[in-house]
Amino acid sequence: MTGFDQLIRGFAVALSWKGLLYCFIGCLWGTIVGVLPGLGPLAGMTLLLPLTFGLDPTIGIIMLTGIFYGAMYGGSTTSILVRIPGEAASVVTCIDGYEMARQGRAGPALMISAVGSFIGGTVSVLGLMFIAPPLAKVMIAIGQPVEVVLMLLALSVISIVSAGSRIKTATMVVLGLLLGTIGLDNLTGAPRFTFGSPELSGGLSFAALAIGLFGLSEILINLEKTETIKAIQPKLRDLIPRWNDVRDSAPAVARGSVIGFIFGIIPGVSHVVSTFVSYAVEKRVSKHPEQFGKGAIAGVAGPETANNAVTGTAMIPLLALGIPSIPATALLLSALTIHGVQPGPLLLTDRPEVFWGLVASMYIGNIILLMLNLPLVGIFVNLLRIPYPWLVTAILVVSLIGVYSVNSSSIDIWITVVSGGVGYLLRKLGYEMAPLLLALVLGDRLEANFRLALTMSGGSYATFLDTASVVVLGSVLALLLLVQALAWAFGYRKSFADDAERA
Amino acid sequence: MADQPTDHVRESAPRERRAFPWRIGARRAGLLMAGALALTGIVFAWQAAQLDLGQLGLPGPGFFPLALALLLVIFSAAIALEGWLSSAKETATETAKDEALEFGHPQVLITFAALLAVPILFEPLGALIALGLLTAVLLVFIARLSPLLAVVWSAVGMAASWYLFEELLGVRLPTGPF
Repeated sequence: MTGFDQLIRGFAVALSWKGLLYCFIGCLWGTIVGVLPGLGPLAGMTLLLPLTFGLDPTIGIIMLTGIFYGAMYGGSTTSILVRIPGEAASVVTCIDGYEMARQGRAGPALMISAVGSFIGGTVSVLGLMFIAPPLAKVMIAIGQPVEVVLMLLALSVISIVSAGSRIKTATMVVLGLLLGTIGLDNLTGAPRFTFGSPELSGGLSFAALAIGLFGLSEILINLEKTETIKAIQPKLRDLIPRWNDVRDSAPAVARGSVIGFIFGIIPGVSHVVSTFVSYAVEKRVSKHPEQFGKGAIAGVAGPETANNAVTGTAMIPLLALGIPSIPATALLLSALTIHGVQPGPLLLTDRPEVFWGLVASMYIGNIILLMLNLPLVGIFVNLLRIPYPWLVTAILVVSLIGVYSVNSSSIDIWITVVSGGVGYLLRKLGYEMAPLLLALVLGDRLEANFRLALTMSGGSYATFLDTASVVVLGSVLALLLLVQALAWAFGYRKSFADDAERA
Repeated sequence: MADQPTDHVRESAPRERRAFPWRIGARRAGLLMAGALALTGIVFAWQAAQLDLGQLGLPGPGFFPLALALLLVIFSAAIALEGWLSSAKETATETAKDEALEFGHPQVLITFAALLAVPILFEPLGALIALGLLTAVLLVFIARLSPLLAVVWSAVGMAASWYLFEELLGVRLPTGPF
């Protein structure tokens, strides 16, 4: 069966009433969690994870992925209208988006942001469709040692591209790997750090840790702030951009699509980094760089396109290699595993309906989001009127029930609460949580593959330096170094840390 | 008007000492966190050393955790050293600027304490009662609602949670003694 036939089958799944309904629910919920500060795609996905248990795996994953890219759309709304990023990837949009809103041009900012997101999202799905299948074939041909090398590389890159202190990021990676060793040893069945608790035999629940480290810690940090949210209300008839806006933003959208696409493959905080790089590029190539920070539409179009272009590309390492590159795809990996689907090179041959159904749904989801975001922007903005303490209470109750429902274990609630407290302290001291979670989700397989490869090679470490692995390692490293050099060339770390501060 | 302190009086009066939030220098807090991480590494290393380590070419279940735990200790020490060196450098150049961090805002403490009670009460009292208590506490202390209203809203929230999770999604929650 050709790829085109598979795609048609995928559309049959995505266009079924269940596929459409759950894609719509995912996109709607994703937009809502994107709009609400303190709730990102990760928390949004974890909250609705229990809803997928009774569903077909493909439909469940369609819904969860819809939340992921829906949140990217929603995040821009609060950035533009309130100057509060709905989620991390929308921080840069605050700079020029809010300035435009203050000048009475919130409508064009929202419109261009939504259209750019649609184009970026669609381009990245095309990339996913064309790159993932051949990449998976390559992965099947190469063995465990290369997988180990790739995972090590992914974890090293997280430290390199991190926006914060590299040593702190590396520490979080090590801590995540260490926490991943809790539970029964994969190869011998020996209990490790379980202290006799049967609940810990399966290891620490990823969902519980993710909700604690990301969701709960974010809530605790936000509780320290007392400012009230005042949103600028745009009128629907003001949404139509002027010709100048279209002319200025079209190249930015094109460049944002390419930047997001490239950065999506890089592990760590690629969706955030891509927005900063896109903003830097737009400022650099603009004939009027002095307008940036004062309401330049290219400063909205580029980053918003880039963060949506990341969503499809970030699925490539997850689906083709089984290696998540950002926390949201790590949660998808966890969800797929709960549904008995193992992401990785064999997914396309063993469960093609999951892959192609997901690809087709992402095309449809992007259209749903475009139709949803513009006419309903007023309703989404009104969500910000809900008093934060009420919102926090509702989020906590739903999160805790969600966490419990994954394994029906109150140990998971302990894990969530304790990791929330630890995450609060770590984040206040400049430690990032994403590297910890990615390392946690990869740790198990990294160790198992490492030990298996050594066993099969008779204990020779030279197995990790055979020809195939060196080629893969060299190519990936070269790509990463190029991207890193680009990021540095455009002054991501320095000048854009300042931009982030201004935002 | 006479009761109001003048600016002079306000300046010379001792600063109000509040128990919360705690203020601590960012550098000192960073050192404490590095110490806590190093301690975590030491505990893991000690536990991992009890497991079968295997050989270098054929690692046992304790090998990987031991190596990681030792790395954690080393990285934590590097963080502490980095903080200490920058502190020493700033002191030498008299440009010390250790910004203060605040921990334990009352709302954070109340929320966290209420959250800690949830896993304790979740199975003995049942999920809905434990979460209902959490809701009521947060509505009284964080949303500043009257206790009566908080209890009413909490009951409404729990009824909605029961319907959504137990009836619609089929999630089985602990019922406690009831």
